[in-house]
Amino acid sequence: MDTFVQQLVNGLTLGSLYALIAVGYTVVYGILQLINFAHGEVFMIGAFGALTTSLVLFRGQTSIWVLPFMIIGAVIASVGTAVLMERFAYRPLRNAPRLAPLITAIGISIFLQEFVRLNYNQVPFTSWNPFNLPDAKALIPFPQIDVVTGPAFEIGGVTIQRAAIFTIGALLMCSALLWYFVNRTKTGRGMQAVSQDADTARLMGINVDRIIVVAFAVGAVLAAVAGVAQGLQNNNIGFRMGFLAGLKAFTAAVLGGIGNIAGAVVGGLVLGVVEAMATQYIPGQFGGGPWKDVWAFVLLILVLVFRPQGLLGAKAVDRA
Amino acid sequence: MITIPNIPESVVARHGSKAWPMGLAGAALLVIGSLLSWSIDPQVLGNLSISLNPGGLQIMVIAQGLIAVILLLADKGPLASLDQFADTALGLRALATWTLIFMTMVVVAITVEAGGLVNVEPGAWICFLGAVLLFASSRLVLPTETRHLSEASLPGWVEILIICVIMAALLFGTAYALGLDDAWQFVFFLVFVMGLVITATRAGALSWLGSITTRRRRVLILAAFTVTFLFPLTQGGSDANMSIAAQVLVFAAAAMGLNIVVGLAGLLDLGYIAFLGAGAYVGAALSTSGFATIGWKPPFIVVVLVAGCFSGTLGLIIGSPTLRVNGDYLAIVTLGFGEIFRLTMFNLDGNNGPNLTHGPNGIPAIPDLEFGSFNFGDTHVLFGVPLARFSNYYFLLLLLIAFIILVFYRLNTSRIGRGWVAIREDEKAAEAMGVNVFGLKILAFVVGAFLAGMAGAIKAHVDVSVTPDQYIFLESAFLLAAIVLGGMGTIVGVLIGAVILKLLPEKLRFFADYRLLLFGLLLVLMMRFRPEGLIASRRRQLEFHEEDEELALRVEGDIAEVVT
Repeated sequence: MDTFVQQLVNGLTLGSLYALIAVGYTVVYGILQLINFAHGEVFMIGAFGALTTSLVLFRGQTSIWVLPFMIIGAVIASVGTAVLMERFAYRPLRNAPRLAPLITAIGISIFLQEFVRLNYNQVPFTSWNPFNLPDAKALIPFPQIDVVTGPAFEIGGVTIQRAAIFTIGALLMCSALLWYFVNRTKTGRGMQAVSQDADTARLMGINVDRIIVVAFAVGAVLAAVAGVAQGLQNNNIGFRMGFLAGLKAFTAAVLGGIGNIAGAVVGGLVLGVVEAMATQYIPGQFGGGPWKDVWAFVLLILVLVFRPQGLLGAKAVDRA
Repeated sequence: MITIPNIPESVVARHGSKAWPMGLAGAALLVIGSLLSWSIDPQVLGNLSISLNPGGLQIMVIAQGLIAVILLLADKGPLASLDQFADTALGLRALATWTLIFMTMVVVAITVEAGGLVNVEPGAWICFLGAVLLFASSRLVLPTETRHLSEASLPGWVEILIICVIMAALLFGTAYALGLDDAWQFVFFLVFVMGLVITATRAGALSWLGSITTRRRRVLILAAFTVTFLFPLTQGGSDANMSIAAQVLVFAAAAMGLNIVVGLAGLLDLGYIAFLGAGAYVGAALSTSGFATIGWKPPFIVVVLVAGCFSGTLGLIIGSPTLRVNGDYLAIVTLGFGEIFRLTMFNLDGNNGPNLTHGPNGIPAIPDLEFGSFNFGDTHVLFGVPLARFSNYYFLLLLLIAFIILVFYRLNTSRIGRGWVAIREDEKAAEAMGVNVFGLKILAFVVGAFLAGMAGAIKAHVDVSVTPDQYIFLESAFLLAAIVLGGMGTIVGVLIGAVILKLLPEKLRFFADYRLLLFGLLLVLMMRFRPEGLIASRRRQLEFHEEDEELALRVEGDIAEVVT
């Protein structure tokens, strides 16, 4: 029983991370029917934004009051990246064939990874490093913060990491705020309208371009929080972290029903729990850590076969 | 594209008459300057320091000068009959611009490499002045009205001769470029070739060439294959270059296979490298390597077919659920599949599952192929030129590519190909017209996977070992980049794209670190500014520029031409 609860906790922690990232895929997809492949990179840049804030402004500082500043730094970096890429890469392709934005997204993804890898500790094409930042070619240790990192809690034989509590708490907070934003504010309702019917929304006086930017920004904010959570959990970050996390988060978004915000959260949690349980309970040689990513993708394929609209139902899935 | 603004008409009217002599003077200066010494230091850019003994770069400038003379004489003078058909003025402008760029780069390169502007000798300055004069004169020459190129008819043997000459130039150009070890010289050669190609395009020679080649397709194909078969003979037994060439061919074969999936059927497959990998693992496991894990040792032909079928089956398994839903899902699922494949190969090491692949160590020591008494590892002598291991594989890969191109071409020009175009354009409309959408998509996916599997089986022997880290996502992205760069759905374009993407990093080691960064940027910029690729089929171009009425009319004209 203890192992089951333990794996459930592990699964929910992992799932919260997936859910935070998955919202970004789903919001953008709901409005533009575009898979923003580079969203995993937005998450990665969020983590680097937090790291940079900590290293530049509060080096060596571990008090809890640094955390809000790190989150703000992460959000600025992520939202900046997301808005710029929407403006310069995706917007010109609004009416292009569907292949074009997907290829662009791969391009952005590779570009951002490499940009961070090569240029994190130097101004591009020079070796000038004003803030003495570490080399991003290897994993970089993430700053430890009092209260949210440190010795784990033991509750009746179940170990709960402090960072796990932060991650799950962050998901709850963000979900509540997102729910309020989407359902109770004017911009949020504008987003709903655009996702239902962009042309009609435009006729009703909604600035669709602005809504699209907002959608990218909302996704980026959550990805930034996820980036900080990931850094606190794993103790280190690297330029490659966005690729697999993005892929898993997309799986979560599809699992919940892409385009459906609540679905993304549910899908993320389910995927996390399934992964944790698969590690523990699939017997024989195909269980255990090495195969958990494989099972996650197998789940994605199974969902597409049997329930392409996802657990909670997607906005629109074309079935040929 | 940056365009240089036209100079005001009043200036043209006043000085237009001086353009022609000025251009001739510029061309003459280019030739004379090239015969003199360019640099004091003989170590820089090959040896450019001896007068009357032009080095590689100087010969390129002489060629530019001579072409300028021909264009000028065609504009006004004995060759004026050419001017009816070719846009000599536009060609001259392009040529002059690129010559000026070339010479500026030469001066910069000598300054940087030899350490100071003093190292630039008068020869280079004379050439530079010539380039400036030519540039100025080209801006003053006015374009004339030209007749349609199809009216220009030459005797048949001349056309065939032209095709042969161009193919030979390609052969020796490539051989020359491969032989350049100095990165600067390689870059200069690229600039030179680019200048020539753009000049030819502007002058209209390229579209004329296009009309010749469509009329003489058989000659062209024959010439192209002769040239590629002759290529190893130009390498004089250097296996290092042939190793690069073999890698380029493997890459090109995979890119052509992916081109069927992405270019023809419009399905974005981001895990294509997994099919290549599956074939390679089959090839390795069924080989006589001491590390092979399967006891069955069939002849190689059977192995290639088994590898193809295995990859094809994987394609069927992945494709059949995902091809039913929206195409975007396919992209992600194939990406996920690529990761599953890599992880599975990584894990099947005996600890986490049966031992099929030796995990991260892979299957090493795959022996060379042997057909009867012909061993691919041995050196054979053909026409007095020794052909070593990689040359042998080069010929085998050439056969494979020929087969893939054949499959591609036959599919594309058949009813199936038209079905794919219809699906690409509008899936719902295609279905309403009775196109079997799902069946055709599956077909594209499986054929692509099958061809990749075949290529993989050969790749295993070329590379000697197979490991999981050869089949990461980035490799799939490179294949895709080759297709996007060259032109989706074209044969020549994708081959050129594959050669560029594989050859440039080999030759330009100094940008190895920034290679991926530039790739990413390239993909984004290509999609933004030229989504149809460097060499685009007209029809494809129209798909990406739907609002372009003029283009639509031209495409209609093309179709009418084909029908009649």
